[in-house]
Amino acid sequence: MVFENPLLLGAIGAGLAVGIAGLGSGIGAGITGASGAGVVAEDPNKFGTAIVFQALPQTQGLYGFLVAILILFVFKSAPEWAMLAAGIGTGLAGLSAIGQGIAAAAGLGAVAENDGIFGKAMVFSVLPETQAIYGLLVAILLLVGVFASPGVTTIAALGAGLAVGFAGLSGIGQGITAAGAIGATARDPDAMGKGLVLAVMPETFAIFGLLIAILIMLGIMF
Amino acid sequence: MRPARMKKIRAVILDEKVDPVIRKLHESGLVELYDLSTKLEDPEWSAFLAPSPSAEYGRNVASLTIKVSRMLDLFSNVSKGEKTGLSGILNPKVPEKKKLSFSSSAEIISHVENVLSCVEGEVSEPAKKLAELENRKAILEALKDSVKYLADFELDLKFLGEGPYTYTVSGLSFPENLKGLESSLTDVTDGYVEIVKGAPVNTGEKEQKIPIIVNTLKQYMDVVGAELRKSGFERLDISEVIGTPKDVFIGSEKELQSIEKDTKSILEKLNALSKKWTEEVLVLHEILEIEKERAEAYSMTGKTVRTHLVEAWAPSKYVKKVQEIIETASEGYSVVEISEPDEPVEKIPVLLDNKKAIKPFEMLTEMYAPPKYNEIDPTMMIMPGFLLFYGIMLTDAVYGLLLALAGVVLWKRMGKVSQGAYNLGYILTLSGLSTVFFGILTGGYLGDFMLQFMGMDIYSTGLALVNPLGESTYISAAKPLLSLGGIDVNNGPMTILLFSIVAGILHLFIGLTVGISESLKKKSLLDAFLGQGMWMLLILAIVTTVFTGNMMIAGVAVILVIALCMIKGFMNGGVLDALLGAMDITGFLGNVLSYARLLALCLATGGLAMAVNIMAKLLGDAIPVIGILIAIVMLVFGHAFNFVMNGLGSFIHSLRLHYVEFFGQYYEGGGKKFSPFKAKREYTSN
Repeated sequence: MVFENPLLLGAIGAGLAVGIAGLGSGIGAGITGASGAGVVAEDPNKFGTAIVFQALPQTQGLYGFLVAILILFVFKSAPEWAMLAAGIGTGLAGLSAIGQGIAAAAGLGAVAENDGIFGKAMVFSVLPETQAIYGLLVAILLLVGVFASPGVTTIAALGAGLAVGFAGLSGIGQGITAAGAIGATARDPDAMGKGLVLAVMPETFAIFGLLIAILIMLGIMF
Repeated sequence: MRPARMKKIRAVILDEKVDPVIRKLHESGLVELYDLSTKLEDPEWSAFLAPSPSAEYGRNVASLTIKVSRMLDLFSNVSKGEKTGLSGILNPKVPEKKKLSFSSSAEIISHVENVLSCVEGEVSEPAKKLAELENRKAILEALKDSVKYLADFELDLKFLGEGPYTYTVSGLSFPENLKGLESSLTDVTDGYVEIVKGAPVNTGEKEQKIPIIVNTLKQYMDVVGAELRKSGFERLDISEVIGTPKDVFIGSEKELQSIEKDTKSILEKLNALSKKWTEEVLVLHEILEIEKERAEAYSMTGKTVRTHLVEAWAPSKYVKKVQEIIETASEGYSVVEISEPDEPVEKIPVLLDNKKAIKPFEMLTEMYAPPKYNEIDPTMMIMPGFLLFYGIMLTDAVYGLLLALAGVVLWKRMGKVSQGAYNLGYILTLSGLSTVFFGILTGGYLGDFMLQFMGMDIYSTGLALVNPLGESTYISAAKPLLSLGGIDVNNGPMTILLFSIVAGILHLFIGLTVGISESLKKKSLLDAFLGQGMWMLLILAIVTTVFTGNMMIAGVAVILVIALCMIKGFMNGGVLDALLGAMDITGFLGNVLSYARLLALCLATGGLAMAVNIMAKLLGDAIPVIGILIAIVMLVFGHAFNFVMNGLGSFIHSLRLHYVEFFGQYYEGGGKKFSPFKAKREYTSN
């Protein structure tokens, strides 16, 4: 126990979860919103579509909010370092919203030209959310107390949060690829399969991060 | 499991009998016409076949279509925008189909002409009157604008313009140019000019001009005009009006009022006419469109001296029927030949052929890409997985119920007029039911609403099997579900994680099984083994390890698979590819871990619902009296938001698991969709 009150670290974790993830979501939603404003100026009927696309990069902020609520109200008894790590992991991974915003902006642009591509653009735009989901996953695993190893109860837990969090930034790269793939698919609908393969590549690094986080939590090296 | 088998139909038909054949085929909608025009460029074919032009009646049809479209434009302009309202959108009226049957284009054209002249007889006079009124209104408004600047002058406007000896012009001048203008006008006219100025008027924002009237001798008309233009004088074009500006202004305002009244009554008349005729004219529009398609169909056929050659694709099961249609319609003056597809597979159209219960899910397959002709149709395999994953990710009985209700409205109501709404509604209804099932299983009713507001902990009652965020009666630290490799599965999250990974491995295994059987059909055994077989072995090895606890089996399998990946890479392109090949195993691992999103999204729904409840409770307790109202608003909006966000998220993530992880094992897609030669009838029936 580092502090008198273990919730001190938890509170910092909650703050980081909401703060950093909110930063990512804000930028991501802003990027999509800019594209949306242009689209709506051309065709006011596209307002609903713009809102749907702008909702995508907002989920990261919601995950951050969710983890903060979980830390503050539900899993108060989790190990203190785990609470901090959960917050950092979710927060940093939430920056993937920037990439998702880029992809969603491209998706919205493509849909403005051709309604028929809505589903495909959605699928591409949601790819860079995987990173945030991994962040949320690790946060939950840290909090629910499945693991009781030193990897969760000591400062080592921070390693897990940092691994999944920073690897989650690969979402930005994935968003850029996905935006390109949306453009390609808009031109040739058959390009979707290959575009997906390319767009999923940057996820490899998020998986590395997730794996290392799980290994740390399992306490493999202690 | 494969797209419908196709047959090629080739028919030679006597010229006189082609029209009825095309008509009948168009009504049946069973075939896709094959465009012969490229084939006819081949000298071997062009020796005895010439390309056929579109049918001649096409031109008449086109000119009638223009007339009919104009009539529809007029109707839509005059009809008062009747509000459809929410109930109109949610329950659209299906137009009653009018039964019309014609045997030739001549009959259709004369029918259209008859109806159209009937409509025109009633509509053209009021329409002309309306145009005149609008014209007059524009003139009067322009006049009103002009004379309002001259309100100061007590001059009869009839003196403006050329008289027998003089020339008078009115207009606006910039105040700063006025002095110069006066002197230059005096110069060019030798003093025979009179300029009357009025009080300054505002013509635009912050722009002031001075109205002036210039009077001179007729012989100076041109030089005065030139001088005025130079100074930036804005001429007010007023002619053929009598009376002072004030009188004219009042007069035109009066006339405008009466025009307004006349316009209103004429619009009412036209509106009534549009109500009476719109449907009739829409019918005309539709039959003309159908006729146009038929006329254009001719250009896809080939022509000899006395016959036409028609080629078409038809699904095997309809081939007999198509042959019958051609033979009866041509009264026997035709030769029909049916053959197996004689084109490369990429050119054979693909028609998905699923049972009615599965058919709406074709939408999801086609969103990715329809299969190639000889590829497997994955629709049947998407359906169970999609519903299962959707249900787990949304997991809330109340949300599920809402979704199912929305789905039913979409499916049964809006689906009447839109195929897309029908398909989506069907999918959402089933997804909603799946969500209800998993919601009950995990005790999710608006998150933990019951605990927060009624003090009932469903997880301690045994009504819910799993608690996504903790322990329940059935699964807790005291009662672990099972123990795997040193980790106890003793709480909700772990149970769902285990379920997710197992479901993922099973899902991938199904994909790999399909993939290996496809590979075995097309490629060598080695390809099948390196493509899918070794992954299946890896999965089996891991499963065995889990059950026996012997880590050796999995370890050996992993090393073996890495080695095989490197060999595969080396065979494809040398050392570098071999090194990259070693990375394939992380790709496989990524595929499996990707299914962990089932847990994360399941928790996200429940957790956010809980967050909404907690906040509502805090608000309700903290603020006296109106706190309860704020809490209710918070609950309604919060849950609506959570429902929409997670409902959408579950849909796309469920799709993603299929498109990326599942399809990656066996599916490529990219076939050409079967597009039937079919009369689109919304307002008529044959």
